[in-house]
Amino acid sequence: MSDNQGNSVDDVAQSASKLTLNASAPTFTPRFNAKAPAFVPRSRAPAPAPAPAAAPTPAAAPAAVPAPVAPVAPAPAPAPAAAPAPAAAPAPAAAAPAPAPVTAKAQPPAPKARPAAPSAEDSANAAEEELLLDEHFKEHLNIIFIGHVDAGKSTLGGNILYLTDMVDKRTMEKYEREAKEAGRESWYLSWALDTNQEERDKGKTVECGRAFFETAKRRYTILDAPGHKNFVPSMLGGAAQADVGVLVISARRGEFETGFERGGQTREHAILAKTSGVRRIIVAINKMDDQTVEWDQGRYNDIVAKLTPFLKKTAGYNPKTDVIFLPISGFTGAGVKNRVGSDCPWYTGPSLLETLDGMQAIDRKINGPLRIPISERYNDMGAIVSGKIESGHIKVNQKVVIMPERRACEVAQILGEGESKEEMAVCGDNVRIKLRGIEEDYIQNGHVLVDAKAQCGSTRAFIAQVKILDTKNILTSGYRSVLHVHTSIEECGMTKLLHKLNDKGQKSRLPPPFVKRGDSAIVRIEVAKLLCVETFKDFPQLGRFTLRDEGKTVAIGKILKLVEMEAPAPAADAN
Amino acid sequence: MSTDANGDQNIQMWKMKKLIKSLAAARGNGTSMISLILPPRTQLAQTNGMLANEYGTASNIKSRVNRLSVLAAITSTQNRLKLYTKTPPNGLVVFCGTILTDEGKEKKVNIDFEPFKPINTSLYLCDNKFHVEALSELLQADSRFGFIVVDGNGCLFGSLCGSSREVLHQFTVELPKKHGRGGQSAQRFGRIREEKRHNYIRKVAENAVQMFITNDKANVVGLILAGSAEFKNDLIKSDLFDPRLACKVITTVDVSYGGENGFDQAINLSQEHLDNVKFVQEKKLISKYFDEIAQDSGKVVYGVDDTLKALDAGAVETLIVWENLDMARYVLRDSEGSEVERFLTPTQEKDREHFLDKKTGADMDQVSKESMLEWLTEVYKQRGAALEFITDHSSEGSQFVKGFGGIGGTLRWQLDVAQLGDGGDDDLYYDDNDDDDEAYF
Repeated sequence: MSDNQGNSVDDVAQSASKLTLNASAPTFTPRFNAKAPAFVPRSRAPAPAPAPAAAPTPAAAPAAVPAPVAPVAPAPAPAPAAAPAPAAAPAPAAAAPAPAPVTAKAQPPAPKARPAAPSAEDSANAAEEELLLDEHFKEHLNIIFIGHVDAGKSTLGGNILYLTDMVDKRTMEKYEREAKEAGRESWYLSWALDTNQEERDKGKTVECGRAFFETAKRRYTILDAPGHKNFVPSMLGGAAQADVGVLVISARRGEFETGFERGGQTREHAILAKTSGVRRIIVAINKMDDQTVEWDQGRYNDIVAKLTPFLKKTAGYNPKTDVIFLPISGFTGAGVKNRVGSDCPWYTGPSLLETLDGMQAIDRKINGPLRIPISERYNDMGAIVSGKIESGHIKVNQKVVIMPERRACEVAQILGEGESKEEMAVCGDNVRIKLRGIEEDYIQNGHVLVDAKAQCGSTRAFIAQVKILDTKNILTSGYRSVLHVHTSIEECGMTKLLHKLNDKGQKSRLPPPFVKRGDSAIVRIEVAKLLCVETFKDFPQLGRFTLRDEGKTVAIGKILKLVEMEAPAPAADAN
Repeated sequence: MSTDANGDQNIQMWKMKKLIKSLAAARGNGTSMISLILPPRTQLAQTNGMLANEYGTASNIKSRVNRLSVLAAITSTQNRLKLYTKTPPNGLVVFCGTILTDEGKEKKVNIDFEPFKPINTSLYLCDNKFHVEALSELLQADSRFGFIVVDGNGCLFGSLCGSSREVLHQFTVELPKKHGRGGQSAQRFGRIREEKRHNYIRKVAENAVQMFITNDKANVVGLILAGSAEFKNDLIKSDLFDPRLACKVITTVDVSYGGENGFDQAINLSQEHLDNVKFVQEKKLISKYFDEIAQDSGKVVYGVDDTLKALDAGAVETLIVWENLDMARYVLRDSEGSEVERFLTPTQEKDREHFLDKKTGADMDQVSKESMLEWLTEVYKQRGAALEFITDHSSEGSQFVKGFGGIGGTLRWQLDVAQLGDGGDDDLYYDDNDDDDEAYF
């Protein structure tokens, strides 16, 4: 079994690096990104569109002419769909071979997408869009702070905000004064992220905090996860939106050990982050200034030595490519923005922010089908939803649909980080969107905002491959737990065990009567409400899930097949 | 539950449950069905006198059919009472009357028994059905515990009583999340949030009163508050929470989720306070059984065939059976005159295959048919096993029923009943490894 784990870990590393990292692109250059299927949606969008009106601009003419053919006879689709490509996008040569497979995939969603609103206007905008993308200058990175309770996640986050001037000095001084009055002097930094009274009273984050900062190179959203084990569900919601994780470890004597024990959140968070799609992780060894540590190199090396095998074996990160270790002090700010300096002569590497800036760009599917799992919604003169754009891009006045209830509405306003109003937002951005034509009450966390023309799958049951991480004894069919998939949390039941997988990944012929810790199996999972998911193959971010029960992560898994689909899911591009 | 007397009581209870079910379903002609319940220390002479009076009154009934059947029922009741010289220590229950069977035939029913624990009801009724409510109450007389699971997404009110776990009410709520928005409105958002949370607590408190207070009294012996964040503590501290309920709060527990999952977890976490509740005992029993499986000790069996084989071998220490397991035991006689026993589910019963003699292909004679559970209650002692009935209300119970077919047992020693699915054996696995070769974990 352990052998197998080792293997799969390597595979993961490979597939992860293959899937996600564009090694050749040191900075964010979406248009020249060879991997990004630059014009996938554009070829798709016009194909199913009825496009009754004549195209208003000459630029879009090639797109509009073949379009009416597609609905009538899907067979010739490849040709017309490919045709607009060169016209709409002066694409790099690397993209040339793409049309054939892409259009082949584009066919299945066509019947469903057809009733969408007329979109002649859309194809007209294609050229304009391209321009907007160019102007979209700075890459957006979502980072999540994870780690055991009291490791200093919020304090570190607060300090980053302070150091990058996102929180002005007066506010910070006010917090400091207030914290002093409350007798919690060392907590003031975290108050920038812990905005609730109860969080400040106890010094414990309860809900995922969110904040924004910007460096010369990139824009960042901080997601500050709660460390306490009771609030792991909230942490998962945050992890689903993150690109990079910062695992904060307390170097203080005893604190590291507690967090790292079985049942400590250092372990759990690291595994959950990996399974929620956080591909790379920075391990920030925090509290190096503490009296029990005093920038001791031995302590640092000790922790690194203990963490590395764990991150490799259990969590599935490749220590060479996916993990970066660095010592910091979140409270004093040493090693956060500026390098550690004289305190720590043995570490000369970059600081935390430098490391983040130096991270390789993440391959974004800017032109994939629009997918925004909703992580929050509220009412502020209109329904506002927020979430990370997992794929695609969104513009003001775009027609969108809230899945799984298929409620149509329109984008009224896009609010970026820092209250700015945007014309459009692309994959990777963490945005708030004001919607027109829908009541806030109809939207729930876990719904997915999609384009009216490329909707996603929704189902009540699916077949999935799971790996059992932790269970009291055994699991049989009839087992009930809580399912986390992207931002939704649902109660689910494992209604059938179908196959057990052996070490070689072969399926058993007979359904196993039960599974236990360490086993992998193929099971059928059912939920009470319609759930927006896709197969892992098509769309990893909507296809991976976690099963939790009684405060423990019972299993992780990926969706292999949706059962009783109402309509064929569009073949999302999964690379 | 481990002691013999206790185990017997469980079986008694199960039998009574079945009896109550059948009696409650029975319907008779007119008002000729007599339900008589006597609490302990009732004077039998007095009751007899009362019955004699009733007999007198009933002789005046105009309708001949009705008169005759009522009189017959009263006579049978009197005769039943003659069997007792005084009321048994736990009281006495008598049901007499003529019921209509499914085929429309009349059948006379005379039942008298002493309940397994003292009954505190006095009842005499002539009706067209048997009155069993008092007995049902007796089964449920276990103390009832209330649960309030409250978190930021919603609130669930549940109760736990005996082996039943019930969700009384559930509602969801949308509270403003922590806001990352600063600026001028920061204060305002903060206030809105506080206000909404306050209103939510008020709603929970008001609902709690509706759920757990009847006739100005708490209808639970204890209340358990569960939740993931501060709400449960806010609720206790709040003035809005009814003091009659506040004093019933046994404990508060931290759970990770709201809803049903939180409810289950809350039950698990407050086990020490709920030791006497059958539900918790059941959970423990099945958990222990699952533990054995997880440890691969080989000292467990599951599935009807394996379990019965082990039972015949006398290896079963504790036999665990789902109380609603619907299987029948047939004893059939084959062409050579030897008896064969078959255990069949209702769907299998429809298949004639099971009634054929394998050697000759002819139908076998049916000697007897009875419910498998009843048969088990008769024979378990001879086979040296302890019998435990479980329900599928708990999550463990539901797994046991769905995953293992509702029957299984722990063994005294390892027994090799041929089982499949041990893994390791390549024959058991498909060779093709086509679409799942990517490992993403």
